[in-house]
Amino acid sequence: MLRRADKSYARAFCSRGMLWLVGGVLLAALGCFATDTAPQVVLDATKAAPRTVEALTQRSIVRDYRFAWTNLSEALASNSANPLNGLFEGTASSWLHDEISNQLKNGLTSRYLNQNHKLEVVFYAPEGDVMELHDTAEYDLEVLDGNKSIHSEHAVVHYIVLMTPGADRWVVRQIQSVPHF
Amino acid sequence: MKRTLALVIIIVGVTAVLLVVGLKGPGISTGTIGVASGSALPGFSANVSTPEQALGNFLLDVQKRNWDRAFSVVERTNSSATEQEFTQEWMGTNGGLRAFSGLEKYDARPLHATDSEAQMRARLEWATPVGPVEDVRDFHLVKRGDQWKVIWDETPAPNVPAQVIPVNYLRWDLVSGNAAGSEWGSRNVDGPHVRIVSMNAVDSAEGSVVMGEVVNEDTIPAFVNVNATLVDASGNAIDDESSFDKIIHVLLPKQVSPYRIDFPHIDLSKVKNVRMDVKATLVPASSDPVIGVMNQKLDADAQGHSVLHGELMNESGQTVNIPHVIVSFYDNNGKVVWVSDGYVEQALLPQSSEPFAVELPKSLAGKVQNFHVVVNEYTLQKS
Amino acid sequence: MSWSMNTLCRNHSVRNTLILGLGVVALAAVALSQTLNVRVPSAAVAGESIWIGTTGSGSATFYLIGPTVSLKHDVQLGSEIVVPSKQTEIAGQYKAVVCVDHCQSADFYVAPAKPASLTFLVHPSRVPVGQNDAISGVALAFDEFGNLIFEPSTVDFQLAAKGSALTTRSVQTQNGIAWFRAPSGKAAGALQVTASLHDVSARRVVQQVASDPCNLRIKGQRTPKGVLVETEPIRDCAGNPVPDGTVVTFTAKNGNEISTVDAPVKQDVARAQIQAKGTLVVSAASGVVMGNELRLEAQ
Repeated sequence: MLRRADKSYARAFCSRGMLWLVGGVLLAALGCFATDTAPQVVLDATKAAPRTVEALTQRSIVRDYRFAWTNLSEALASNSANPLNGLFEGTASSWLHDEISNQLKNGLTSRYLNQNHKLEVVFYAPEGDVMELHDTAEYDLEVLDGNKSIHSEHAVVHYIVLMTPGADRWVVRQIQSVPHF
Repeated sequence: MKRTLALVIIIVGVTAVLLVVGLKGPGISTGTIGVASGSALPGFSANVSTPEQALGNFLLDVQKRNWDRAFSVVERTNSSATEQEFTQEWMGTNGGLRAFSGLEKYDARPLHATDSEAQMRARLEWATPVGPVEDVRDFHLVKRGDQWKVIWDETPAPNVPAQVIPVNYLRWDLVSGNAAGSEWGSRNVDGPHVRIVSMNAVDSAEGSVVMGEVVNEDTIPAFVNVNATLVDASGNAIDDESSFDKIIHVLLPKQVSPYRIDFPHIDLSKVKNVRMDVKATLVPASSDPVIGVMNQKLDADAQGHSVLHGELMNESGQTVNIPHVIVSFYDNNGKVVWVSDGYVEQALLPQSSEPFAVELPKSLAGKVQNFHVVVNEYTLQKS
Repeated sequence: MSWSMNTLCRNHSVRNTLILGLGVVALAAVALSQTLNVRVPSAAVAGESIWIGTTGSGSATFYLIGPTVSLKHDVQLGSEIVVPSKQTEIAGQYKAVVCVDHCQSADFYVAPAKPASLTFLVHPSRVPVGQNDAISGVALAFDEFGNLIFEPSTVDFQLAAKGSALTTRSVQTQNGIAWFRAPSGKAAGALQVTASLHDVSARRVVQQVASDPCNLRIKGQRTPKGVLVETEPIRDCAGNPVPDGTVVTFTAKNGNEISTVDAPVKQDVARAQIQAKGTLVVSAASGVVMGNELRLEAQ
């Protein structure tokens, strides 16, 4: 049987404990719903041939590829082509538009979270007008039907990417997944 | 309340009456609005007892485009010269720069004067679409009775006989192709190859100046623009500017153009580096017209300024509405030490010539060993 | 009566019931998981129908997620799901997902079909003659659906110009790309460049143009108005005439007076009329190439 003093101490301890518990739950919840960080992109251009990739071009590729994937995941999560923002051209652009419209038609969305991309330049044309990269992409993929998650995994996917220089940026012209390089 | 209402009615009534009077009453027939009828216009002297006054009135009439009155005070040395020719000389014709200009202000000083004749020098400032243009002109005045007259001794332009001039110079057209359905890589046309062959950065009274020459190394015409960025010791850009109109923008194959880029109010001592950038794009163009630059000579004018003058000769059958002369000056090492430019105010008619003059800063006159003149041309109607 | 674990464990009947219940639940879970199974093809080619097998019974929702594909429809478990060829046109990774109260998925890859087009990038579109490694070409093979074909194959490049022997070289694709470099020819004119892979080909044209003028020579004569000066036919060092429209600057000097005319070449020759008096020294230049000087005495 608790004495009066013990009771008040216990009450204080319990209320403090409740506070910690609630705080901890909140923090955990925040962690669960925390904003996805921008895709991480690293580039290895040591094997680029026949043309070597200039330092400025390397920086542009990393920047524009990161933007491309940020926009791609935003577009597929919101089922809107607006975020694509001119970073995709040709086949890549038309495929993405088709994917978005098919998702929208069937009420599906997909999320690409916690992305890590390891890019390797395998070909850079002599005139600098096309570059082929191999992307070993790691991300958390979730596919939802409405609000219901139908698929969730931590995926490692190999992409063959073709990029071409635009007016003020490098654009993705082809992005095709393959079983291995 | 009643008093207020009455006041309002009175104010409205008076306003209405004044409006009616103003719209329907007799117009002011003479003078500028605000100046009592019968008194002189600002700057206009009713009494032309001096050559200054006579020239002042004349130039005011030119400014106000009162051609009848202006022509009435000139004395022609060539009796066949008509008022129309007089008007065309001052107003400009054939789409020349003068046709789009107005006399902004003038300043006339006597050179010498007697009781019966006088020589006056007038500095005329014209407001034109390409900025203010200064023209220095000498006027000869004579006293006839009690009136001073301005002598107009302009010789009429040679009458070029009617003729057919075949144009068989090359022209280039640009076909952009059908964008829809074109495959990747099938519409490749490279831009023209253009190279900056020289660059020189100097200090001037107005600021820093970057100049040099650029050449079209390709076999097709190029639309060229040269930009420069001034960089300080920390690598930060201080300013960037373009060559604007101090370059021939459309360069034919193997054609060389000077360029000059001005950076007002920037001291060259703050500049560590100059980053140059030349942009060239495909453009339709024609080899015609061919303009020769004849009798180029560098000497001092009446005011002691170093001036390069000569004549532009239009060897084609097409009117060049606004010729623009750009000159590169070289020292004895062949380095470009200055680039000057000037617009010719009269249109360049086919098979005809027009004089031009561009000034060289006095400080550089001693360094200049050679020069090269190129002509930019603006034609209102391209055939 | 207080129920504690100890009490429950000591009670045999309760203990047996518990064990039995847990076993039933486990079996049910296993049974359920065994019921929902998805079988995907091991090798699929773009543009071909595929069959996806399922096990179990009852109705389920089938999803096919792939590049451009997001299918959803109801299916009967235990039967094969036909995915029409239209849904497999794009090569890449696909996920087949079947959901009842939980979802089961399987991945498979669709490979590109056979080559149907070549993307051929050739640079430059104009090149001066006689330059080493001046022309380059890059060929990429795609199937009829726009999928990049990265299986190694041999691309034949042909370069043909009028008056020159045909040059052919065969290049194996690496990572889906074949490329070449070649010098420009000696003769100005159109160079046809073709890339072929099996029965698919692409053709581009490179204009070989004359290099800088070589041996720029002028001749002149006095006229009533001044001087008429013209060049001899202007050619480059390989003998190719420079293109019409190339600007030649004529300069005539008389003491400290200079006259210049920028005249374009017309049918290999540039000419200009210069109005100047007195003894003249006339010269010509084109780009950065200087010609000879001519001295014409006053009339």
